[in-house]
Amino acid sequence: MSVRLDVNVIIMEGACRVEDAEPLLRWLQADSGRMVDLTGAEHLHAAVLQVLLAMRPAIQGTVRDAFIRDWVLPTVMGESSLESKSQGG
Amino acid sequence: MDDLLRHFIIEAHELIQQATDDLLALERNPQAAVPMDSAFRAVHTLKGSVGLFDFAPMGITLHAAEDLLGALKDKRAGIDSHVIDSLLACIAQAERWVAAIEQTGKLPPDAAEEGYRLARALRSQLDEEPAQAANPVPQADLGWIEELIAQGRDQATPRAQHRPLVAIRYTPRADCFFAGDDPMALLRSVPDLVAVRLSARDPWPPAAEIDPFSCNLRIEALSGAELDRVKAVFRFVPDQVTLHETIGAAQEQASGMALANGGAGVAMGAAGVPGARILRVDASRIDRLADLVGELVIAKNALAHLAGQFNDGLDRKHVSQGLLASQAAIDRLVAELHGAVMDVRMMPMRDIFRRFPRAVRDLAGQLDRAIDFSMEGEEVEADKAVVEGLFEPLLHILRNAVGHGAEPEPLRLEAGKPSKTRIVLRAYRDGDRVTVEVEDDGRGIDPAAIREAVHQRGIVSADHLDRMNDADAVDLIFAPGFSTASEVTDLSGRGVGMDAVRSAVERLGGQASVRSLPGQGTTIRLSLPLTIVMTKVMAVRLGRELYGIPLDGIIETAFVPVSRVLPVRDAEAFVWRERTLPLVRLVDLLRVRPPVEAPQRLKVVVMAAGDDVVGVAVDGFAERMDVLMRPMTGILAGMPGVMGTTLLGDGSVLMILDIPELVG
Repeated sequence: MSVRLDVNVIIMEGACRVEDAEPLLRWLQADSGRMVDLTGAEHLHAAVLQVLLAMRPAIQGTVRDAFIRDWVLPTVMGESSLESKSQGG
Repeated sequence: MDDLLRHFIIEAHELIQQATDDLLALERNPQAAVPMDSAFRAVHTLKGSVGLFDFAPMGITLHAAEDLLGALKDKRAGIDSHVIDSLLACIAQAERWVAAIEQTGKLPPDAAEEGYRLARALRSQLDEEPAQAANPVPQADLGWIEELIAQGRDQATPRAQHRPLVAIRYTPRADCFFAGDDPMALLRSVPDLVAVRLSARDPWPPAAEIDPFSCNLRIEALSGAELDRVKAVFRFVPDQVTLHETIGAAQEQASGMALANGGAGVAMGAAGVPGARILRVDASRIDRLADLVGELVIAKNALAHLAGQFNDGLDRKHVSQGLLASQAAIDRLVAELHGAVMDVRMMPMRDIFRRFPRAVRDLAGQLDRAIDFSMEGEEVEADKAVVEGLFEPLLHILRNAVGHGAEPEPLRLEAGKPSKTRIVLRAYRDGDRVTVEVEDDGRGIDPAAIREAVHQRGIVSADHLDRMNDADAVDLIFAPGFSTASEVTDLSGRGVGMDAVRSAVERLGGQASVRSLPGQGTTIRLSLPLTIVMTKVMAVRLGRELYGIPLDGIIETAFVPVSRVLPVRDAEAFVWRERTLPLVRLVDLLRVRPPVEAPQRLKVVVMAAGDDVVGVAVDGFAERMDVLMRPMTGILAGMPGVMGTTLLGDGSVLMILDIPELVG
C-alpha cells in the first residue's frame, strides 16, 4: 500500500495508484484536518490527485519528485490557499 | 477494392445525400418530424457501416453527429442555423472522406485530427452555449491559453517567451479510470512542460458525495515541444484532448480550416465524377432486358433452323421468305432492346438536383444574399449522360443567379419585392425533349450594360450591335469572352462564363437561351434531348470518303445543274424553291482536294445552319442510318467541325460533321 495513516498524517509514498484514492478520501472525509505528506511520493494517479484537489488537505514535507513539486503541488496548495483566503475574507 | 468496401461507398454516398437533404429541410422547418427522423436514421446507418471498417475518425465524427441529432430529436437542444451548419460540415467532411476512400481505400492522414475537431464542435453544441459552440475554434476557448502563457511567464521561464508552444487542454472522460487511463501519467510524459493548470471539470460535490473513481479533472498545460511529439503522448485519448499551437499559429490554423471549408465545393465536384460511374437501375427494367435477350435467343435459333433447311436443299423462295421474317423479328427486337437499354440509362433529375440546395445555401451564405430556393420536376427523367452533363452548367447558372441576379435585401425591399430572392430550378418534359430552367426574380439583365460590355470587348461589331434588338443583345451573355462582372469573385468570374454553359449544353445536343426583364428577373432555359445516344445521320460521299451529317439538320437533298449555280462575288449561290441560298462545297469546307472532273449536276444537301439555310455540295448521297455517336475524346476533343464518330458495319470510322460550325 503506497498510502497509509500515521496518527493524523496521511503518508503517500512511491507510485500512488488508482486504488489509493479510496482510502485517502475516506480518511479525509473522516477528518478533514488531517495533513498529507507527499515527501516520498513518486507519482500521484489522477484519481488520487483529484481527491487532493477536492478535499484540499494541508500538505507537509518537501516533495522530492520534480514533476509533483513543480506542476502538481502549486495547484493543490494554491487552490487550498485561495480557498482559505476566500473563506477568511 | 473488396466488395464490402465498394458497397459501403455506394451506400455512403446515398446516406450522405439523404442526410444533407434532410438537414436542409430541417433548417427550413425545424419542427418537421420526418426529416428529423430520416436524418437521424441516415447518420446512424452510416455510422454503423463505417464501424465495419478501420475508419475510426469518421466513426467518431458521425457518432457525435448522431448524438447531437438524437438530442435535437428529443428536443434537448434547439435547431438553429449554427447547429445545421456544424452538422452539414460534418456530413461534408464525411463526403470528402468517402471520396478519399474511393480513391485510395483509406482515410487521408489528417482525418484523425479533423474528425476529432468536428466531433468536438458537435459535442460542444450538446454541452455548451450554442453561441460559443457555433465557431469551430471558439474564441472564448482560446482565452485559457493566454492565461497559461501568462502563468508560464510568472513562473520565470524566459525560454517560453518567444517560441512556439503547444497548448493542451485535456478533459478526461469521467469513466477513464476504468479504462486504465491515468491522465496524470500522460501529463507527466508530455515533453518540455512550460505551464500546468489542474482544475475540476465540474464543481466538486460536498465531501461526502465525492466519487473518487469518476474523473472530474481538467488538465491544461503548455509544452515547448513540437506538436507531433505532444500529439503522440495523447494518441490514445485524442477525443478528450484539444491541442493548439499558440497564438500566431492558432490563427493560422483557423484560417487553414476556413480554406479547407472553402474547398468543399471543389471537392464535392471532384468526388461526383468517380461516383457517377455507377448506375442504379430499377429491377423491373433489368427484367425487361432479360426478357428481350431471351426473345433474341429464340430469333437467333430460328435463323439456325433456317440455315439447316437451306442445307437440306429447300427452295430459294421459301428460304428468302424465312430470312425476311427472321430479319424483321430481329429488327424489332433490336429496336426494343435499344429502347430498354435507353430506359436503363434514364435517370431522374433528382440525382443531380438534390445536390443544389446545399450549393445554393453555401453560395448565399458566402455572398450574404437571402435566397428562397425551390425545385420542381425532380422526377423528370432523361438519359444519364444528359442529366449528369447538366450538373456543371446548372451549378454555374445558379452561381450567377445568386451572385449577379440576387440583389441585397435593402434594394429588394425598396423595389417592393419580397426580401428573399426567389430562385426556382425547374425541369419538365417537352415532347421528346426535356427543358431545365433556372428562374430568378432578381435584378435582371440590363441590355444597355450588355451592349456596353460587348462593345468594349469588341465581341461584335458596333454596326451589328446597333441593329440588334434587346433580346439578341441579352443573348450575347453566351458569347465567348463575355463577362460583365466588374469585379472578379471566386464564385462567378472565373474566366468560364455563360459561353461554357452554352457549349456544354450544345455538346449534349441542346440549346441554351435567356429571357430577362430588367428589375424583374432572369430565366435561363436549357432545352435538351431526352437521349443523346442514337443519332440519325445521312452519309454523304466525298471522293471515296464517307462523312455523316446529322439528319435533324437536313431539310432535303437536291440535284442542282451546274448552270443554275450563280457566282456571287467570290462565293456561290443557287435558287431553291424560289429562294436564293448560299452554296458551299464540302470539299472546300474540309479543305480536301477537289475531284478531277466537275460533274454536270451538283448533289446538294439543303440544311439549316443556325437560322440560315445553306446548300452543301457533295459528291454523292449514301444511306441514312441510326448510329451510336461517340463524342470526340482525347486529343481530338477540340477538333472543329466534327461532332463525333461512329463505327460502320464494315469496321471503318465515319466522322459526323457539324456543318453549322464548318460554315460559321
